[in-house]
Amino acid sequence: MRQSPALRSLSTPILLSLLLVCFALAAVFAGSRPFNQTIIDIFLQVIFVVGLYTFVGNSGVISFGHIAFACLGGYVAAWTTIKPMLKGGAMPGLPDWLMQTEIPYWASALVAALWAALWAGIFGSVLMRLSGIAASIATFAMLAMVNSIYSNWESVTSATSSVVGIPIVRVIWPYLIAAIIAVFVAWAYSISRHGLALRAARDEPTAAAASGIDIPRARLIAFVLSGGIMGAGGALYAHSIGIVTPDTFYLGLTFTTLSMLVVGGMSTLSGAVLGVLILSTLIQVLRWLEAGVQIGTSTFALPGGVQEIALGAVMIVILMFRPTGIMGNKELNLPMAGSEKAGRQGPEPQTTNKE
Amino acid sequence: MSELVADRISVAFAGLKALSEVDLKVASGQIVGLMGPNGAGKTTLVNVLTGFQPPTAGAVLLDGAPLSGPKPHLLRRRGIARTFQGGRLFRDLLVIDNLEVTGIGLGQSRSAAIAEARAMLDWVGIAHLANRIAGTLPYTDERRVAIGRALMGRPAFILLDEPAAGMSGQEAADLSALIRRIAREMGCGVLLIEHNVGLVLDLCDHIVVLDSGAVIETGDPAFIRASEKVRHAYMGTAADTHMPVLEVGQ
Repeated sequence: MRQSPALRSLSTPILLSLLLVCFALAAVFAGSRPFNQTIIDIFLQVIFVVGLYTFVGNSGVISFGHIAFACLGGYVAAWTTIKPMLKGGAMPGLPDWLMQTEIPYWASALVAALWAALWAGIFGSVLMRLSGIAASIATFAMLAMVNSIYSNWESVTSATSSVVGIPIVRVIWPYLIAAIIAVFVAWAYSISRHGLALRAARDEPTAAAASGIDIPRARLIAFVLSGGIMGAGGALYAHSIGIVTPDTFYLGLTFTTLSMLVVGGMSTLSGAVLGVLILSTLIQVLRWLEAGVQIGTSTFALPGGVQEIALGAVMIVILMFRPTGIMGNKELNLPMAGSEKAGRQGPEPQTTNKE
Repeated sequence: MSELVADRISVAFAGLKALSEVDLKVASGQIVGLMGPNGAGKTTLVNVLTGFQPPTAGAVLLDGAPLSGPKPHLLRRRGIARTFQGGRLFRDLLVIDNLEVTGIGLGQSRSAAIAEARAMLDWVGIAHLANRIAGTLPYTDERRVAIGRALMGRPAFILLDEPAAGMSGQEAADLSALIRRIAREMGCGVLLIEHNVGLVLDLCDHIVVLDSGAVIETGDPAFIRASEKVRHAYMGTAADTHMPVLEVGQ
């Protein structure tokens, strides 16, 4: 019986979503508030890294600038959900209609996605004409530009001061749902005609152009979509801590998300998600060990700072033995769906028998 | 009847002339051979005709109208297709996906692209390879897939860059038959760049010979076969040497 491409590859986002559900259930059963926050952070990282994968994984162009879209999203959350009275004090330059706007957190995430996607379209229409290292550096310049604007436009962003009063959402489910939606959106894009064309252009740009593919346009579609995912992630990030500053969304988050993507394997969705889950788990374990573990009557604790060193060492070792990341070119899927496609880059569907 | 013309094309790289006022014409259903020793400028001319290399002077005309500053993907959509030396398949994709991508690039719906891809693989005679990963194919099959990919959307012209390189006599003969079918059955104009002189002489209606970026001879196969200039360009020595002719089946 012939299966559609979507059906054949559906096991990948389902399995990844089930993994995320397991993490959420672990947080619920643990019942600890710090642990709950840790899992929320992991889900936010999943959204960011999956957003990054949507562009980087499919286009092969490394972007250092995607966290700029999270920044745009984070401030949309601030502009649209903080109580008008508080907004007036911190961001007096906001237009009246925005000053009076107060929408629920989930609506702010949607608006943030659209806002970030719009700017991704504007930036991308210029940046997507570049290739290789020039494109990567240009994305970094975009990040620096956005950071600089948000750090200085005092009347609208409160400049480098923290914007407080964003309603905090401590329940884990919205973050889980958003992460799952991000996974499914990234998967749907990957199996779409645009995703297939972009991966072909990633692997053989010359042949892709000779096949009629408008490479800048194919990249732009991925850039806009990934910008939207990052924007929604930025808004939810703001709702998870209740506060934003431009530096929340700058170099630290840029390098964390890129590292997770590279370690997981940047050409697959599974690599993006597993990179976050594995590195986040590792960071958490190292944190616990730094805090000290009670063994009998004595407490065993790693010296402070070991967490960063150990994490760096583990990443180096992983990349030494698996330069293409933990997942390499393979997607996580059910055995029955995968045997024929082993070794093939990108998502499943195109790897399957079409007869 | 469509016509692709290179009109006095010159290309210079940092002052070095790669092509010098080259004229060439391919019409629908015609097979034109482009011959010349290594470094003669054959691939540069193909790059110019397909939009990968802007000419320093001269123009490419499609049905009499000049193509100014064209982009490769737009020329492909206008019906000028090409293959590459070395295949350049999307190696991680299935063979059928290689063709499907081109259908998508040409603006076809996904289902239409898959249907045409399947029909094209069948037409080229490699339907059995549809679900193989392109990167795992032997050299000869790679070339056929590349030709099938270039034929998606039934282009008006196909420019084949050394399709027979590395092929045995029988494989070259099979390829020769395929190229003849492309011209006769599809009505496609074929520009064949090839080192296999026997194949070019056997197959082409008209031949252009380049050397050091300039056209040194042009004419029908019988004329080219007898040309001292061509013999000299290839062998670089005396007239009593023999041109490298490989026998191919009719």
